[in-house]
Amino acid sequence: MKFFPSLFEVNGLNFERQGTLVLKGAAFRILSGEYCAIIGPNGGGKTTLVRLLLGLEKPTSGDIKLFGIPQNRFRDWNRIGYVPQRSALVDSTFPATVREVVGMGRYAVRGILGFESRDDKTAISEAMELMGVSDLSDRLIGNLSGGQRQRVMIARALASNPDVLIVDEPNTGVDVESQHRFYELLRTLNRTKKMSILFITHDIGVIAEDITRVLFVNQTVLVSQNPAEMIRCDEMSRLYGTPAHVVSHNH
Amino acid sequence: MLLEMLDYPFMQRAFIAGLMIAVLASLSGSFIVLRRYSLLSETLAHVSLVGVSVGLLFGMSPLWMAVLASLVASWMIEYLRSVHGMYSDSVLAIFLSGSLALAIVIVSMAGSFNASLFSYLFGSILSVSTQDLWVMGIFGSLAMALLLAFFKELYFIAFDEDVARAGGIRVTLLNFMLVSIIAVIIALSIRVVGTLLIGALMVIPPVAAIRFGMGFYPTTLLSIAIALISVVIGLSASYLFSLPSGAAIVLCLLVIFIIALVINRR
Repeated sequence: MKFFPSLFEVNGLNFERQGTLVLKGAAFRILSGEYCAIIGPNGGGKTTLVRLLLGLEKPTSGDIKLFGIPQNRFRDWNRIGYVPQRSALVDSTFPATVREVVGMGRYAVRGILGFESRDDKTAISEAMELMGVSDLSDRLIGNLSGGQRQRVMIARALASNPDVLIVDEPNTGVDVESQHRFYELLRTLNRTKKMSILFITHDIGVIAEDITRVLFVNQTVLVSQNPAEMIRCDEMSRLYGTPAHVVSHNH
Repeated sequence: MLLEMLDYPFMQRAFIAGLMIAVLASLSGSFIVLRRYSLLSETLAHVSLVGVSVGLLFGMSPLWMAVLASLVASWMIEYLRSVHGMYSDSVLAIFLSGSLALAIVIVSMAGSFNASLFSYLFGSILSVSTQDLWVMGIFGSLAMALLLAFFKELYFIAFDEDVARAGGIRVTLLNFMLVSIIAVIIALSIRVVGTLLIGALMVIPPVAAIRFGMGFYPTTLLSIAIALISVVIGLSASYLFSLPSGAAIVLCLLVIFIIALVINRR
């Protein structure tokens, strides 16, 4: 597997939805091993930016490269783990066990007609172990708490052993204790396993010590490699256009 | 007496066709139920009726005309839903009422609501020919092979379409494949179950199986078992009491659904 220092490379990215400009002239790079926070006001285009990176939306114009490859020729999607917004909100009657949901993370790796190999089983077990959901293996996903579901969804994203994990405001409906465990996990994945993290959040104070880069998205994308400077209260107030307070938490 | 009915070639054909349809309909139905797309089967069944009417009016094979009409409609529905982003229930409602209206106009042009059309509406165990069995066997095997080959991908899409797409699964292509398979299964099923009742064979088994609160694989197997039991009992009742086969099968499904509901009150 080739190593590309640049995971995401975006140039002149524009995106319009029904005639309204959502993103204008976005240009940035995210490097391997980085912990990048994507912040900005609601409706500013954070989720759209991530969806564009993942190929879920087509840009109006501009270039996106993933691992050095133009997006339309990129095939190794299993190298990117994705935990979408509100992923913890699952249809309570859906017939899926925790093991089945985590196993979905291996489907792209297995290919058509591919049966579950020993490697698949190991990767699934490790992801479940890491997220502390092994004992929930046979439970239906709909019967779990918000925090437990969130851990299952992250385990699914980790099952493909991705190089980068993208998480989009995953704490909706999740209790405070689970949120803290989640932040701790992201830090461990980034520091110990050298996994790159792209994290959409409103709660930047919590991860202030961990992040190496901040993308502030509000139609345009502002990049800062000095997060400490960007998350200063006066700077945040200027960017959001309203008085903002950054609260640092202890892990 | 029950075993005696299997001495008749028409009953043998009806059972072979019915069991094939039970497996295919319940397996493919699981995916549309989980995607809250259940009315697709009902809609395509009504569209098949247009094909049957055209076939009867112009002296062409009603079965092949039903397959053609159902396939074209399934692609149009999926196109409007996925490319134009229209609400799926609205698209289905438009096709359902529109195709029924068209079928009624064609039938009225034929001048009579004949017995042949009646058997296509409600199913008839007498109407399954050996040629029908061959057609069902060939297309059913192809549909089954595709469903099994892409089973895990279709399951992932049903659970979370966006994440499946982000994971590199070709969601649009597989969605078109699934609706095409369902269109063909519905059109092939109308001899035994009838156009107005095939939707139930696709929807009720998975809905009843889901009530038991198991994972997807056991739920799918239970759904197939429910469909098979209903077809066996329904066809037997149809033979014994001279009932339309489709109606007898659907009533069995309903009884099983009510039992599942009572056992699993949540």
